[in-house]
Amino acid sequence: MIPRIEPPPAEPASGGAAFVEMATPALLVGPAGRVALANAQACAMLGCAPEPGLGLGEILARAGIGGAIHLPGAPGASTACRIALSDGRAVSVEARLLPDGGSVLTLNDVSAFVRESELARLDPLTGLANRMTLHARLGLAMCSREPVAVFCLDLDRFKSVNDTLGHPVGDALLRKVAERLLGVVRAGDVVARLGGDEFAVLMPGVTQPEKAEALAARMVDLVGRTYALEGHVLNVTCSIGVALAPADGGDADVLLKNADLALYRAKSEGRDRFRFFEPVMDARMQERRSMEIGLRRALAFREFSLVYQPQLNLGSGEVVGFEALLRWQNPGGGLVSPAQFIPVAEESGLIVPIGEWVLRTACAEAAGWRKPVSIAVNLSPIQLRSLKLVGTVTAALAHTGLDPARLELEITESALLEDSDMVVGMLDSLRAIGVRVSMDDFGTGYSSLSNLQKFPFDKIKIDQSFVRDMLDNPQSRAIVRAVASIGTSLGMKTTAEGVETAAQLEAVRADGCSEVQGYLTGRPLAAADAVALLAHPRRALPVTGDKT
Amino acid sequence: MTQDLYRLVYYSRNCVAGHAEAHEGAVRAILAASRANNPRAGVTGALLFNAGCFGQVLEGARRAVESTFERIQRDPRHAEVSLLAFEPAAARAFPNWAMAWLGSEARGAARFGDIAQGSGFDPSRMSADALFETLQRLALEEEKSAAA
Repeated sequence: MIPRIEPPPAEPASGGAAFVEMATPALLVGPAGRVALANAQACAMLGCAPEPGLGLGEILARAGIGGAIHLPGAPGASTACRIALSDGRAVSVEARLLPDGGSVLTLNDVSAFVRESELARLDPLTGLANRMTLHARLGLAMCSREPVAVFCLDLDRFKSVNDTLGHPVGDALLRKVAERLLGVVRAGDVVARLGGDEFAVLMPGVTQPEKAEALAARMVDLVGRTYALEGHVLNVTCSIGVALAPADGGDADVLLKNADLALYRAKSEGRDRFRFFEPVMDARMQERRSMEIGLRRALAFREFSLVYQPQLNLGSGEVVGFEALLRWQNPGGGLVSPAQFIPVAEESGLIVPIGEWVLRTACAEAAGWRKPVSIAVNLSPIQLRSLKLVGTVTAALAHTGLDPARLELEITESALLEDSDMVVGMLDSLRAIGVRVSMDDFGTGYSSLSNLQKFPFDKIKIDQSFVRDMLDNPQSRAIVRAVASIGTSLGMKTTAEGVETAAQLEAVRADGCSEVQGYLTGRPLAAADAVALLAHPRRALPVTGDKT
Repeated sequence: MTQDLYRLVYYSRNCVAGHAEAHEGAVRAILAASRANNPRAGVTGALLFNAGCFGQVLEGARRAVESTFERIQRDPRHAEVSLLAFEPAAARAFPNWAMAWLGSEARGAARFGDIAQGSGFDPSRMSADALFETLQRLALEEEKSAAA
């Protein structure tokens, strides 16, 4: 389709047909500055088919292009300039004056060329400074003992933009973020893209934290505003870490690292915010790092062990299963709380091999019990995202000979928060090999009844916070009763967790729960004690059996 | 360019401090800029403003609307921009307006009709369709009264 606008000029230098056939995007501008002809390539590049009589400036504005093209003034002269398309690609425009006073414009996408020539210094995607340039400029400021503020910025959940809308849209978004950041800074500041969705802003001469704070707040606000891009509506937020020299670091590396630590903190506090570096962040990070090293050693040197907490059927009063709980005996520091080490294990990915060890050990132990009671093992959301999980479970069952129906995998609601389709698919595969699946800690966090709809769980474990309060707080009691009733209706067992007193035991029984787990009916037991409990079920339940 | 006609509807919170005069000054500056930029880009639309909020409809070629909206997004005079709609449109609803200005406190709340009672118009409680229809109705009234 060739949009013809005015009749071609009487003596166009290249001739109408030849012009239209040109492989290069080209525009023919009449003597009065109106676009007479645009070939199909130009229409495609500009994303529009010009209407009759439009001026060159109007065509550019309609294509979302900010700059202007200057046409040559003298016959035979030519001009060259560069414009940026609305998606950020760089286009070089060459204009030649025709004898009739009009001009021929050829448009060349020079993004690739620009990329190559500026590769050493600039980020090819956004045209911002790259890491090397930032580092050099920062080093210069540090040498001259100039005060400087460094902002490390990272988009929150950028990956999902690439995953759902494709890389071209993701790239266009990164360019728009770059433009917005450039709109905030002053001449002499440096905006850099460090890679992926990581940016950094360097502001020399910023001495007051208040000033840096206002700038960080402005960047969080501005970058977080909705984007209308390539026909899509995009909402992303960003997190920022700020470090100020000389207070927060005497050289470029330390300053950048500290800004990064502050960024890490901003992310872990919920994203969409900025944080200033504080020395305690460094201390916490060191602690985290040493814990990660400790976990690796624990795995190699077998410092982990499992304890088993009994689960009783409320009708028969018999032990119907045990939940395996992980313990870490650090040779130097005693017992480490799972609340401390599990988050580090999850962040570092070590939860996958640790979880594998737990599965194998628990299955092996349960396979040796004289009664075929169930064994419950907790799965982290990270494990559920590991493609190895089904293979790991299958292997653990095969190696130990445990009946799959005796293995109960417990997941928390947080596992269903993101990628829930993928997680449900994983649960289906696990169910297919014959194991059972429980919903753990139900009622806390992001509790939603729709989670019970996503997958037919075998069991709901009611969080201990409700059980603990149920005698004093009618609301808690109503929740326990309602969940027990939902479980009955959906054909799921319900376990009351954290039962500590006889009165609570009576209450959960009266409210219709099917099973109970807590200190009253049994503390976590060492493997040998669990075996003993199964062998002598009538003996009094140990009340001080917390041998860990 | 009808094959590429898009419409965008948003509302945002006013950040211009002060009273009616300061607001009117800000709106006049915004309208002047819109009326200078929009005809070139083939963007038409309408702006509704009161002390608390802006509500605006933009329509035109997709890339032109995206660029215009991006410029608006970077404007510090407003915040908490909620993009209510951004989608292809069959025809322009404000073909005669580079940027129609519909209502201000100074011009009397009566013109706002049912959307500006007491505390003023609250676009944050309107859907994209309702905001769009309100703007379109007000623009038509404006055109009629101008012709009369």
